Amino acid sequence: MAVSETLSSPAQPGHFVAGKGLRTVYSVSIFLGVVLFALALYQDHDRAWHGYLSSYMYWTDLALGGLFFTALQHVTKAGWSVNIRRICESFTAFLPIAAVGAVVLLLGSKHLYVWMDPEVVAGDAILKGKAAYLNTPFFIVRMVVFFGLWLIFSKKIVGNSLKQDHDGDAKWTLKNVPLSVAFILVFALSYSLFSVDTLMSLQPHWFSTIWGVYNFAGLFQSFLAMLIIFVVYSMKKGWLRGLVSEDHLHDLAKFLKGFTVFMAYIGFSQFLLIWYANLPEETIFYLARANGWWMAITFSLLILKFAVPFLLLLPRWAKRTPNHLVMVSVLVLIMQYVDIHWMVFPNFDPYEPKFAWQEIGSFLLMGGLFLWSVTNFLSKHKLVPIRDPRIAESTHHHVAY
Amino acid sequence: MAQKLKKKTGGVAGIWLDDHDCVVAARKVREAGFKNFDAITPFPVHGMEEAIGIKRSFIPYVTFVMGIVGLASGVALQQWTSATDWPINVGGKPFMSGPAFVPIMFELTILFAALSSVAALFAICKLPKHDPPVIDPALTSHKFAIFISENDSGYNAERCEQLLKSLGAVETKRLSHY
Repeated sequence: MAVSETLSSPAQPGHFVAGKGLRTVYSVSIFLGVVLFALALYQDHDRAWHGYLSSYMYWTDLALGGLFFTALQHVTKAGWSVNIRRICESFTAFLPIAAVGAVVLLLGSKHLYVWMDPEVVAGDAILKGKAAYLNTPFFIVRMVVFFGLWLIFSKKIVGNSLKQDHDGDAKWTLKNVPLSVAFILVFALSYSLFSVDTLMSLQPHWFSTIWGVYNFAGLFQSFLAMLIIFVVYSMKKGWLRGLVSEDHLHDLAKFLKGFTVFMAYIGFSQFLLIWYANLPEETIFYLARANGWWMAITFSLLILKFAVPFLLLLPRWAKRTPNHLVMVSVLVLIMQYVDIHWMVFPNFDPYEPKFAWQEIGSFLLMGGLFLWSVTNFLSKHKLVPIRDPRIAESTHHHVAY
Repeated sequence: MAQKLKKKTGGVAGIWLDDHDCVVAARKVREAGFKNFDAITPFPVHGMEEAIGIKRSFIPYVTFVMGIVGLASGVALQQWTSATDWPINVGGKPFMSGPAFVPIMFELTILFAALSSVAALFAICKLPKHDPPVIDPALTSHKFAIFISENDSGYNAERCEQLLKSLGAVETKRLSHY
């Protein structure tokens, strides 16, 4: 407490106001999303649920990314990121909605996961062998445990930060360190299994031990892109004047560039081993993504999710130019959807990529709810954890040449 | 040896006990028209680059270009060894196997980029310097110095000493070489 108040008296952050435009965007998104998703369900259950799963994973990843990044800052006792930490924390406001979304996913899970059909399992030796893990009751138990843990940790870690806004006590910062260590350990295991359950089990015969890491890489990359957009938006509104500068953007962009490389590294590692070994039980995954236009999408991931963002983030000026960063972030966010779509949809149609209003519907629904929950959180709380003991370090953050 | 030392430039050094004062002084020295001066500090001091007016290094361009050279070398090396000079069928894969070449391409990119960056750093800093004069041993622990080189435009030892003193230097030293 003493530290934060003697070292400096930083500028007060502005109040995050979800303006009329923003409110219209999420209201229309949610409304349109519900209508289109309902229509898609009416038209084709299988397709609608595959679209739902893609959008669900996309926005849940962003929320989890916020919690993971917050925990990461506490574990490393990072000073530079304090002034943008509240925006990371705000993403966790979507987690309760994601938990409800998991229940909705269960309603449609029969249309997604063949291993949920006892008749299929009875006639399939491989699925019989995996039935101890891949069965509906255990799937539900896992979902409950994962979301239970994530919600408890987000409530605790974010809650401590909000409590500090009121009393300015440094003990909340200290308390968050062991909590964050525990969360990161829990997250490593739970998120790996979560991605295996929701995405890998779409093709229950197939397996990849790096699947969880690949999904995490996409999660972190897209989270950083979304964070940059929120930070730049708040900066342009003038709410972060004197608190967040292009030096913070510079470091966020370094993060984004680093994890763009990481994503490609993990994605290629998965591909290389399968390609080399050339075992039919493993190659089915890539063969299903090499038909017709799927091949083009597979290559677009390499080029537009790795090569182009990497080169666009390479120069120093690029990392310090807000408009440029937003452009790259939008590209990364689009490609993250393409990536998840690429993981999900060959299960629905291995011959032709499908993307139309049916998929846009569930994307808008989830996206609108995400935007609503996050902006609602931000307008209720201070935009910067202004009484954090490391606030001075972050306010004076400076990136050397 | 003695002749070599004479070739090196001397100058005047001022010593501060506070890093912030040293940054302020560095800015003033630059504003006084000096270009060929440097700050010697025990740790990186925020804002010092801007205060002295140090331009960005060109090393990143060396890194980038040599990275591309490394990438191309990786392709060329494997193309030559695996497909041209001694083609061997490995696991029924084509001789020119893109995915199999990627790890080597990646490693050579890193190797070329990293080693060239270090080499460029050594070249432009004229490292290794085995006999730099010791201005003050405490510059590695708690003191901060600004050194104005005698080949700077408008250099005058007396004037420099006065300038540094007026900027709050607790001590000034004339050095015959640096």
